[in-house]
Amino acid sequence: MSRLVLKFESSSLKEVPLGTRPVTIGRAPDNDIQIDNLAVSNYHARVYSEAGSLVVEDLNSLNGSFLNDIRVERAMLKDGDAILIGKHEILVDQVHDAALPVDGWRKAPAPRVNETMILDTEERRKLLEMAAAAGERSQLSPKRLRVPTLTVLYGLTDQKEYRMSGKLTVIGHSKMATVRLRGWFTPSVAAQINKHEDGYYLGRGDRVPTLNGVKIQGLTKLKDGDVIDVSGVRLNFLYRD
Amino acid sequence: MHIQSGARTDLGRVRKNNEDCYAMDPSLQLFVLSDGMGGEAHGEVASALAVQTVLTHCRQSENSRATPIFGESSPDVSERTNRLASAIHLANRKVFETAASNAEQKGMGATLVAVWIEGQRLSLAHVGDSRVYLLRAGSMDQLTADHSLVAEKVRVGILTPQEADASEMQSVLTRAVGTNSTVEVDTDEQALLVGDIVLLCSDGLTRMVTDPEIASTLLTSATAQESADRLVDLANENGGVDNVSVIVLRLDEKSASVFERLKIWKRHSG
Repeated sequence: MSRLVLKFESSSLKEVPLGTRPVTIGRAPDNDIQIDNLAVSNYHARVYSEAGSLVVEDLNSLNGSFLNDIRVERAMLKDGDAILIGKHEILVDQVHDAALPVDGWRKAPAPRVNETMILDTEERRKLLEMAAAAGERSQLSPKRLRVPTLTVLYGLTDQKEYRMSGKLTVIGHSKMATVRLRGWFTPSVAAQINKHEDGYYLGRGDRVPTLNGVKIQGLTKLKDGDVIDVSGVRLNFLYRD
Repeated sequence: MHIQSGARTDLGRVRKNNEDCYAMDPSLQLFVLSDGMGGEAHGEVASALAVQTVLTHCRQSENSRATPIFGESSPDVSERTNRLASAIHLANRKVFETAASNAEQKGMGATLVAVWIEGQRLSLAHVGDSRVYLLRAGSMDQLTADHSLVAEKVRVGILTPQEADASEMQSVLTRAVGTNSTVEVDTDEQALLVGDIVLLCSDGLTRMVTDPEIASTLLTSATAQESADRLVDLANENGGVDNVSVIVLRLDEKSASVFERLKIWKRHSG
């Protein structure tokens, strides 16, 4: 059976057998291989098998994962490979057959398949911590505290700039529109912008808006500086301080 | 805009009880669906109580603006959407208290999805892994984010969608109505367009029928009720391992005919 061996300098710290589940590596305590070092991201990398091959994948870590000294995002592994994370090394041992230490290997509890159940509070707490850790990573984004706005570049609207505060921003003639279009024959909902967990998405209304000169195909995520054209109005999507 | 609705719930081919439940109030344009859990017949109790509570609370709030709000209101969404979330908070409390006062029903709970349409605005609130989809201009988007262990892991980035689909943990929820004294409710809003199709469904549909199959069924049916029937049939043909429930809403240009309005009026005056 194959395994991963965590090493620091010359000493072996831990062994983790490779099963069907991915093995996660990171600083957070709920990783299969936890490395308590600030150079290591909370969820740094993982190793899993795909179509019979073992794969290492970097989870967008700050300092990267290295396979035999080359920085990799995703790479196939073979016996004897060394993955370097921070100052720790993880060796791939695919031919080891001896009895395995099982500590540190948290096997998922086997649920009754198909029977809906609720996660117990302990598990939920762990998951929330995990989500919080992921949020912590995204806080590195400089846009985090900036307010999304729509600035009118041209066209007939009731204001020149709109701060987007709600989950739904309607552009149109409708009473519920945030960006109220004036003028004749303007549609009640020309386009709409929906706030999702990871950002703002532009969608069609009774018109299909154009984003940076290209007609959108379905919901399209907005980036800082995007230019939206719809119903004779041009808007600039900007994150402002 | 006129809403044409169709719905169906079915035991499936494996289960002995139907723990799903739905309700529609066409005059209020309120649609609610729930999938109960908790062994024996208690899942049924939970889902029925949850659905009924949402309906009652929303009706009350229409008659009296003084109806209390449960849970916290969000400034990000309309009053109507906050009201819908309030109804789910109240449903949570009712199911939780019922379970707490009856030893046999301990641990029972339910998912809950609810949509409420006013003019062109769709208000949406949900807890659990029952879903709402919006089919617009040929493409279908899921408006709800499942509160299940695998879905949350995918969102955090530690599981791929393919691994999630293959996972044995799919039935593990991270949030449900009635399993805790309080619950976090997700809300969303959409501006509806003529031609839109909205689907509310329990996981008994989405585990058995793929998204493309769902979309093509919705697009090729003549009526909302035909869509609902065909979707349930498909789930059963593909194995029907769980209860399956669907509500289909089609947003048509024409307003309700005099005949339909009479039917609605008769139902509510009777």
